[in-house]
Amino acid sequence: MANTKVAIIAANGSLFDAYKVFNVATAAAASDAEVGIFFTFEGLNLIHKEAHKNLPLPEGKEHFEEGFKQANVPSIEELVGIAQELNIKIIACQMTMDVMNLEKEAFIDGIEVGGAASFIEYAKDANITLSF
Amino acid sequence: MNIQVDEILDAKGLACPMPIVKTKKAMTNLEAGQVIEVQATDKGSTTDMKAWAESTGHQYLGTVEEAGVLTHYLRKASDAETKQETKHEDVEQLLDLQSKIEAGENLTILDVREPAEFAFGHIPNAINIPLGDLEERMKELDKDNELHVICRTGNRSDLAAQKLTEKGFPNVKNVIPGMSTWEGPTDKNN
Repeated sequence: MANTKVAIIAANGSLFDAYKVFNVATAAAASDAEVGIFFTFEGLNLIHKEAHKNLPLPEGKEHFEEGFKQANVPSIEELVGIAQELNIKIIACQMTMDVMNLEKEAFIDGIEVGGAASFIEYAKDANITLSF
Repeated sequence: MNIQVDEILDAKGLACPMPIVKTKKAMTNLEAGQVIEVQATDKGSTTDMKAWAESTGHQYLGTVEEAGVLTHYLRKASDAETKQETKHEDVEQLLDLQSKIEAGENLTILDVREPAEFAFGHIPNAINIPLGDLEERMKELDKDNELHVICRTGNRSDLAAQKLTEKGFPNVKNVIPGMSTWEGPTDKNN
């Protein structure tokens, strides 16, 4: 998969969404694909310095907390670290940041900040495009 | 099954995608041709390992399941292996070899793959000397016999055939392509 490009949009902010995004992204990067994720709206929580360490379960699904522990799934913090280590490109949505009044410093290190056009430019020749 | 490996990775207790991520990391530290053993308890890891090997070009050898632990064996591929550059002139088609075996001919088959590859399926009665050990173990072979040298795709066996010819073995055939397309009977273990 060395010549495969994966473009992902992360637009939601629950713990479930975070696992969908980071599991697929890190598996793709570990398979030698080039991976980029555009974080927009609630998706920004997944890369917020503090918020990503304590993401909420979706309403009514709180009972899954036990299952996550039992299955020994890695924490989102751990997956974010792996994503950075595997050189996954992280683009934070400028427009959402403006709306929510957030600065680049509020997010994890090594991110890019860009608009929709930045993502489109990245994704225009992607082999796989996913939205979560 | 006792299989010789170069590296062991303990991924037990880890959930998807960690076994793959850890394997990827461990693989970068290996030399081409080396074999890694990955121990996992994630039930999805067998299909994931196969798919991952397919994606990255590494070779998935097989999985042994014992007491809830899945032990996967993978071999790091080298660039040279994906390029076909056969130099040993005396080649033998795999199907011709199979016909000779089926006709009951008594052949000396030398399998130069790694012991872990050999363990997961080889031609019955084949001798296993991995390419890397050939130089020092050559004396185990009888120069009077016709040698049918085989590996997975014909590249390592080509190098082995050249080496044997160079050392004075008069009758060496490189079997192509190799075990990757072998459809005859196989034995497992050593």
